[in-house]
Amino acid sequence: MILHTINAAPSSNALADCMAIAEPCDAVLLLGDGVYAALKDTVSCTQLQSSGAALYVLQADAAAAGVLNLLADDIRLIDMDGFVELSETMPRQQAWY
Amino acid sequence: MNADTAKRVLLVIRHSPYGSSLARASLDAALAAAAFEQPINLLFIGDGVLQLLPEQDAAAIGLRNHARTLASLPLYNIDSVYVERAAADRYHIDLALAPLVVLPLDSHEIHQFMCQHDHLLGF
Repeated sequence: MILHTINAAPSSNALADCMAIAEPCDAVLLLGDGVYAALKDTVSCTQLQSSGAALYVLQADAAAAGVLNLLADDIRLIDMDGFVELSETMPRQQAWY
Repeated sequence: MNADTAKRVLLVIRHSPYGSSLARASLDAALAAAAFEQPINLLFIGDGVLQLLPEQDAAAIGLRNHARTLASLPLYNIDSVYVERAAADRYHIDLALAPLVVLPLDSHEIHQFMCQHDHLLGF
């Protein structure tokens, strides 16, 4: 079980490198420019969904980006406390940037 | 620290050698861990495999030869080095010519390998 955090735009290698190894037992949290990868019906979002991992977006970063109402339905929004709770449930974290 | 209780650390290296200071920083982390006799493994994935090209010569850009530093890692008892097979194939990198002995892993093996560690440090 790995908590993946992605904080680079979908066109960077961060998303591709993460998707190459992510498995359904993992969680993926998008933050910073990473939030754009969760835009509904985009290639990057489909890629995230097909990984089978649980998908999260940091609410404050999605709000800043203006994408709160444009995210795919199966994305869960979490705040900083949620991020901490999530990291407590996962034994290890990999930062992709 | 006792080797049985030490945290297992994996360096996940995914950037090219001279495009940023990240490659250099990953080696500093590896050598620091080795200096304190902490178990450390290296995993090259994505563009990180470009660090394993054998004929690097950074003299003209005023930087240290990264491949040569990698080649010295076994001197510090760092000899567990792994690489994403698909990334090496993508760049047609002949791993037999890499500056140090590396073990290729496929994507599922990489996930399993990452899960055998307590800490994952991305570079």
